[in-house]
Amino acid sequence: MAENFEQHSDISAADLARLTQEAQAEATPSTAKIIWSEFKADKPAMAALIIIVGFILFVMIGALFINTPKMMETNIMGYFNQPFTADFWLGADSAGRSVAKQLIVGSRNSIGIAIGLTVISSTFGICWGLISGYFNGYIDWGMQRIYDFMMMLPMTMMIIVLVTIIPHYNSVTLTFIFSIFYWEGTSRLIRSRTLAESEKDYVAASKASGTSHWKIIFREIMPNISSLIIVDCTLSFAENIGVETGLSYLGFGLPSQTPSLGTMIANANDPNNITQYWWTWLPAALEIIILCLSISYVGQVLRRAADSSQRQGSVN
Amino acid sequence: MSLIEIKDLKVHYPIRSGFWNRITDSVRAVDGVSFNIEAGETYGLVGESGSGKSTTGKSVVGLEKVTSGSIMYKGLDITKAENRRKLDYNHDVQMIFQDSLSSLNPRKRIEDIIAEPLRNFEHLSKDDEKLRVLQLLNIVGLDADALYKYPHQFSGGQRQRIGVARAVATNPKLIIADEPVSALDLSVQAQVLNFMKKIQREFGISYLFISHDLGVVRHMCNNIAIMNRGRLVEIGTRDDIYNHPLHIYTKRLLAAIPETDVNSREAHRASRLAVEQVYQDQQSKYYDDNGAAYPLVQVTPTHAVALPQTIAQQLASQEGEVQA
Repeated sequence: MAENFEQHSDISAADLARLTQEAQAEATPSTAKIIWSEFKADKPAMAALIIIVGFILFVMIGALFINTPKMMETNIMGYFNQPFTADFWLGADSAGRSVAKQLIVGSRNSIGIAIGLTVISSTFGICWGLISGYFNGYIDWGMQRIYDFMMMLPMTMMIIVLVTIIPHYNSVTLTFIFSIFYWEGTSRLIRSRTLAESEKDYVAASKASGTSHWKIIFREIMPNISSLIIVDCTLSFAENIGVETGLSYLGFGLPSQTPSLGTMIANANDPNNITQYWWTWLPAALEIIILCLSISYVGQVLRRAADSSQRQGSVN
Repeated sequence: MSLIEIKDLKVHYPIRSGFWNRITDSVRAVDGVSFNIEAGETYGLVGESGSGKSTTGKSVVGLEKVTSGSIMYKGLDITKAENRRKLDYNHDVQMIFQDSLSSLNPRKRIEDIIAEPLRNFEHLSKDDEKLRVLQLLNIVGLDADALYKYPHQFSGGQRQRIGVARAVATNPKLIIADEPVSALDLSVQAQVLNFMKKIQREFGISYLFISHDLGVVRHMCNNIAIMNRGRLVEIGTRDDIYNHPLHIYTKRLLAAIPETDVNSREAHRASRLAVEQVYQDQQSKYYDDNGAAYPLVQVTPTHAVALPQTIAQQLASQEGEVQA
């Protein structure tokens, strides 16, 4: 059969290298290049990217050099020490513990939970939505009833109950507990787009070309809803920082001996702290604001890169 | 033996209603269609929109769940998924879609799009695969530059040729062309059709050519089936359909072809109105009490029409007199 094609086309194996080279010269730039040029075109987003990456690297590495149990020991001499001194760069809290060191370890914990939670819950939610939307019919019906049941459970209450009945928990178990509940929004969003997408002709064409269902779902449909996935992931990452922080603030997040952004913001529970000892809670609050803003800037750039009509970069 | 034998094909969609959402009725999209496609020929399937011609086409490729009836290929009924797998059916039967943009995945490069059936059915080495894609692009008249581009960078006609290249990639025996040119302008239509004809000559492919455009069908097809309300109303060779139409629906379709002869504009208008008048007056004669077409009866060895035997004979003899 190959001869059949040889006969009717004047291209033979000898031309392969030359033609490949020609095609490469005309090739559309790769996704990574497009994303990079988008960042270059948008200065605030570039700054946001540097802030996020730099900060995450800084706290991840910095936390390795801090002896957490020792840091969390009460030090009566440092009681509400003023900030900007040699021993306490950002001051100390009511137990005389360094705010700067707590901020580093606490950020590592909170960001770690947020990343873990986003990865687990988004992966699960995306798979659930894609499969449910693609197969339709009875599979969709069953999966959506499970979804409805999960939606019906009061999320915060359930997490608080789970946290109280599990005897020893740390940031890893907490991430898994959160993940049970945070895939739902993503899955509905992805399902609705998959329903529309799987009716399109290119899916029919893939079926007619003998491609398997799983390949169609993850290699054909998923790339086509990638802009939605990216936006959803960045937004839920920003939101997930808030999830842990909020619960820790209420006292149901991480144990009190584990510092986190939430436990630090919880310092603001005390009116004295709010008015006089602002350094106990303000750095953590500012950090969350800056991180969430930066993440949404980066998310916007990724979304623009995924949609060719919105691009601002010079590579098209 | 024919390449494909379609027997009494039915595709019904359920209509659900009421409090319990039970099936109360069904849409008879395709309601008992039978015809054969011979190797190497172009078979035209013509009808207005909603007549079930696209559904028939999709059933033949295996994209539509068939309610009843059979489609025989190499002695097996390919309406069953396991038979399709056993035969590697889609290696031999491929499809060209109407909308060239939505039928090409916007996130894939042209190389990956054309190579998709090759990867599933032929498992070539990387270089052989690339060579085949380049040859296919060459056959449909596109340059090698196209290889790493995305579908949105091409014009409608180029995209449709990419669709043709993908369908031809595995050297199939039959290609279902579902209104392949109806979304293109006229000059590009001719270009794509000529590529399709050239490919047919060179590779000996059969087409099931689905269209509502009788001008295009006349250019492409040897045998034509006219479809109306989910049933076939007339089957015949090109000559039978265009020069001796018997069913009123076929006559209406033919009357609807625009004529460019300005001088006899009035005469054409009159003949169109006459056909429409006959349709309005004699509908009950041509369709049964439920408004569906009658079963087909043979008039000549090649020509069949969906009418009761007596009326068919009568019309055929009238037609003969006019000819004489």
